[in-house]
Amino acid sequence: MMRRSLICLTLCGLLLPTLIASAIANPPQTAEQIRQMLFNAQVALMSGDTQAALQAVDESHQLYADTLDDPLDTRTQESLAAAFEQARDAAQSGNAAAFAAARSRVWSNLLNGSSQIVLDAVVRGDAATAAQWLPLRDFRISTRFSRPGADATLAVQALAAGQMTPEDARTAVQADLFDTYQAQLNAALIDAGEAAAKGFATRRSEEAGLAAGYFGILAGAYDEQRGETARTEAQAAFTMLVEAAVSDDAATFEQARADIAALLTGFRAAPLSEKELTRRAGQLMRFIALVPVEYARGVRNGAVISDLEIQEALTFHEGGTAAFLDLQNVLLERDAEAAQRIAVLLPQVLTQIRAVVEPAELQATVDEIHQLLTNIIPAEWQTGGGASDIDVIVSVLDQVETAVAQEDYTRAESARLEAYALLELGVEQRLRGFMPDKAAHIESLFWQGTGEQAGLAVLLAERASLPDVRSSVTDLKAAFDEARLMLGSGQTAPAAVAGNAAVIVFREGLEAVLILASLLASMRTAEQRRYRRPLLAGAALAFIATIASWWLATNLLNVLLPLGETLEAIVSLIAIGVLLLITNWFFHKVYWVGWMANFHSRKQRLIGGVVAISIGQTAGLVILGFTSIYREGFETVLFLQSLVLEAGVGVVLQGVLLGLLGTAVVGVITFALQVRLPYKKMLVVTGVMIGGVLLTMVGHTVHVMQSIGWLPITPIQGLYLPYWMGTWFGLFATWQGIILQIAATTFVIGSYFLAEYQTKRQRSRPHAAVESHAAL
Amino acid sequence: MNKLIVLLLILLLVIGTQPIAAQENIVDLSAIKTYLLDKLAELQTGTRQLEDAAGVYYALAEAQAFDYEALWAEHRTEATDALLNARDAWLIASPLYEQVEGVVAGVPSLSEFDVILDAGASGAEDPEGGVPFDLTLRDGRVLERPGNLFGVLEGTLWGTVEAYSSGVAADLNVNSEVDFGEVLPDANVLLAAAETMNQYTTDLVAASDAWEPTPEDAFTALVVMVPTMSEYFAAWRDSRFVAGAEATRTDFVVISRLADIQDILGGLIVVYDSVSPMVTEADTNQDTQIQQGLLDLHTYVRDLYSQEQDGRVFTAEEADLFGSEAQGRAQTITGQIAQVAALLNVTLAE
Repeated sequence: MMRRSLICLTLCGLLLPTLIASAIANPPQTAEQIRQMLFNAQVALMSGDTQAALQAVDESHQLYADTLDDPLDTRTQESLAAAFEQARDAAQSGNAAAFAAARSRVWSNLLNGSSQIVLDAVVRGDAATAAQWLPLRDFRISTRFSRPGADATLAVQALAAGQMTPEDARTAVQADLFDTYQAQLNAALIDAGEAAAKGFATRRSEEAGLAAGYFGILAGAYDEQRGETARTEAQAAFTMLVEAAVSDDAATFEQARADIAALLTGFRAAPLSEKELTRRAGQLMRFIALVPVEYARGVRNGAVISDLEIQEALTFHEGGTAAFLDLQNVLLERDAEAAQRIAVLLPQVLTQIRAVVEPAELQATVDEIHQLLTNIIPAEWQTGGGASDIDVIVSVLDQVETAVAQEDYTRAESARLEAYALLELGVEQRLRGFMPDKAAHIESLFWQGTGEQAGLAVLLAERASLPDVRSSVTDLKAAFDEARLMLGSGQTAPAAVAGNAAVIVFREGLEAVLILASLLASMRTAEQRRYRRPLLAGAALAFIATIASWWLATNLLNVLLPLGETLEAIVSLIAIGVLLLITNWFFHKVYWVGWMANFHSRKQRLIGGVVAISIGQTAGLVILGFTSIYREGFETVLFLQSLVLEAGVGVVLQGVLLGLLGTAVVGVITFALQVRLPYKKMLVVTGVMIGGVLLTMVGHTVHVMQSIGWLPITPIQGLYLPYWMGTWFGLFATWQGIILQIAATTFVIGSYFLAEYQTKRQRSRPHAAVESHAAL
Repeated sequence: MNKLIVLLLILLLVIGTQPIAAQENIVDLSAIKTYLLDKLAELQTGTRQLEDAAGVYYALAEAQAFDYEALWAEHRTEATDALLNARDAWLIASPLYEQVEGVVAGVPSLSEFDVILDAGASGAEDPEGGVPFDLTLRDGRVLERPGNLFGVLEGTLWGTVEAYSSGVAADLNVNSEVDFGEVLPDANVLLAAAETMNQYTTDLVAASDAWEPTPEDAFTALVVMVPTMSEYFAAWRDSRFVAGAEATRTDFVVISRLADIQDILGGLIVVYDSVSPMVTEADTNQDTQIQQGLLDLHTYVRDLYSQEQDGRVFTAEEADLFGSEAQGRAQTITGQIAQVAALLNVTLAE
């Protein structure tokens, strides 16, 4: 064993220079190497080879000093220096337990340092540094049945793509990391307890050291929430835990664990996002409201008549309490007295259930809680709706499975009906509006079933086996998961957004090319040709200005992003307004003929009859070129912002590139090949395509406005539109969406006929005038 | 000119679909299926041999009206041969299954076979998640949801489950002593379990043949199976290999769980190699790290196994510490895989 350790450690030593060379570029890999070197030292120490252990400690310390030390903050550097020193002392004295604690301290400090670097980088908007260091982290404990999340990774990716503000990215990254480390802290405390029970001293010290280290990462959040005194007290308890583990003082170890459990009660390191707060608030109100409903079914004349109903009441109480604990700090800030009163009433509900009080008595307590919650929870959280409704339905569906496992089919049917009632009262209206096929599918799964899956009602009536019922419930949950996703975001197909962006850019680009071609074509003579250069320079400047406008607009949107779907609704409404105006202009020729005539008259004024070109003329022509093109660019930037909010910059840029490519093709054909294209027909075709974009945009905007509660949702009974029609064309089977899309169509077509009518009238006027004059 | 416009619009449409299509995860995963089918073909050879040997043993017992004392007295050589053949077949089949367990257990459409063949507890131990089948014996007895088939057969062939044994000692290695596991099995249990095992293996081959691997399957297999190290190390810690005679487990008495872990990781490395090109596109560093992590973990387990093979007996505390280290590494690898799956927009099945 000693020989094996020595070979392993010698190899590490030989590889050290190579490791250092690649380390700076890959902090997580380096940190992992350090961790493994220290583990090897631990193994050597356990087999009594202190020399090999010391060598490994020194080499890992050296690797750390040469690579990771520099970027870390001073406090972490100091803590790591002390941890390596502790490790060395423990190795020298052959104390495996003390070494395990020191090893944990090194690792948790590396995690802490990395977290700091990532969060600082995100705040600076430095996504590259954040992405480089973020993998130096622990992940949530995963099992066969649970997967680690990727919120922080996705947030950093969104930051890099300009789809998330630094502030929002920081919130997401911090929430992910803090959630992870809090889960790891709890797991380490449990593992330390188990190791102690088995008499595994080294493992106990390792886990105690990890628990203390994880708390070190969360100490700042603890301080913010509980104050400095509480933080100092908690840190002292963790120090006591580690010391007791190392010195094998079982009584103190247990005391420290108990103290820590009390100190951590109700502590939640990761602040919840507004969305999560809304969801928790919805859960709290719904779960608590269901407690007396279940309880009343399970109690009669002061005696329990159904244990399962009581169990359900307890489950809802537990869910409500968990949601309250997550919200407690926020609610305390809003109204300390009310929040404290709720904190007293919630355990009282539990006491009342256990004492089998009269249902009315329990109802009164819950009513008081409900009233207090209604007063202190912000109104917008209470109307959040969909996601928390679905949470409650899913939790009730779990009860169907539990009841079937206990072969209580009556109870299972009752839970099924309850879940269905929650669906009917809550999300079904929204589902019917946005995705009637999904609503019909879910309803089928609740009752008679689909072609592939038997319905839950049928299965329960037939007293089907647990696997069959579980399969049906799993399908229902999967359908609700999809519904949650669709209701939450109202996503548009990326290809549709890219296509719409391409149409807009191509149409506006085509107009720019035509304006430029028309102006250049009128400068045919040798003298006039020299005016072309300033005109083109102006056009080039307009292109640059358009890019600058895009940059400004996206930055402005980033600032306003916290408004979420409200911002999307506002920007989409502006874009629709401008689109309607422009389609109207198309038909009245103001937009095209009048605009073009305006450019030509300005051009004539600038160059008419002048032989030598003056500075003033040059400036005038540059401005002419600039204004003729920039208007198209500005319109494009404006339209595209609403698409950016729908699908992100990446998708829209794909469409922009496509549109620019189309414009470039037309440009080359027009300017380089001097071929005359059927411009009028192209304008008509692209005009019709823009009309299509307008209709899609109206549909999606109505959807967004319905999602945020600005418009009601009235499903069209009997009309079933598949969901893909919504994601591609903004077609949803609600009266509001369809009527407004028809209104937009009517406006566009009406504009056309009105324009035609006015043109005919203008044409007939001279005749009429001549005729009346002749009559005279 | 009209044609030119039409051509232009078609061109725009075609080019327009390119960037979107490029985002889709197209990767050749056929190597995973080939690996799976090759290993399963070998496995099936083993399960057939096991069924044949169990049939021979059953015929011998039946001829003696299931009087095992008489069987041992009159047909010692034939019975020994049949049982040693059955044990050999089990010893061939078990590691082969472990080599594909990472895929079978991790792919949702195949995972039920893992419960049946190798991972499921008995109905008594796990009423909800235990094995779904009953064993109906030739003599009419029914063993309700007895647990996974490798476990049942191991307990039967090495006599660790009393209910599956005849209770008649048998010096199979002819050393004039009754060593661990030297007892004649109940022929009814052995035959029923061997037949059922072979049947489910045939079904698994058919299901695997029909399976078309997707990136979702591959990533799910990895995130489901890699973090199971602690389960396997705990099984090792509690098995005869570590706990010795004090072990309470009736399975993992013949092959060390360390060998199983090594085989499972070998299969998962094959799976990861297939998706590695996708991961490289998302994040080269992450790909290097995951690959290195998996190889390191494999080497780590192989090293422990070779120490055990060399005669080292680990203490429970050491097994616990090594298991905790393996689990830590596995959690990190799983986390990294989950991150790239998210970046690649690959949905992990729950």
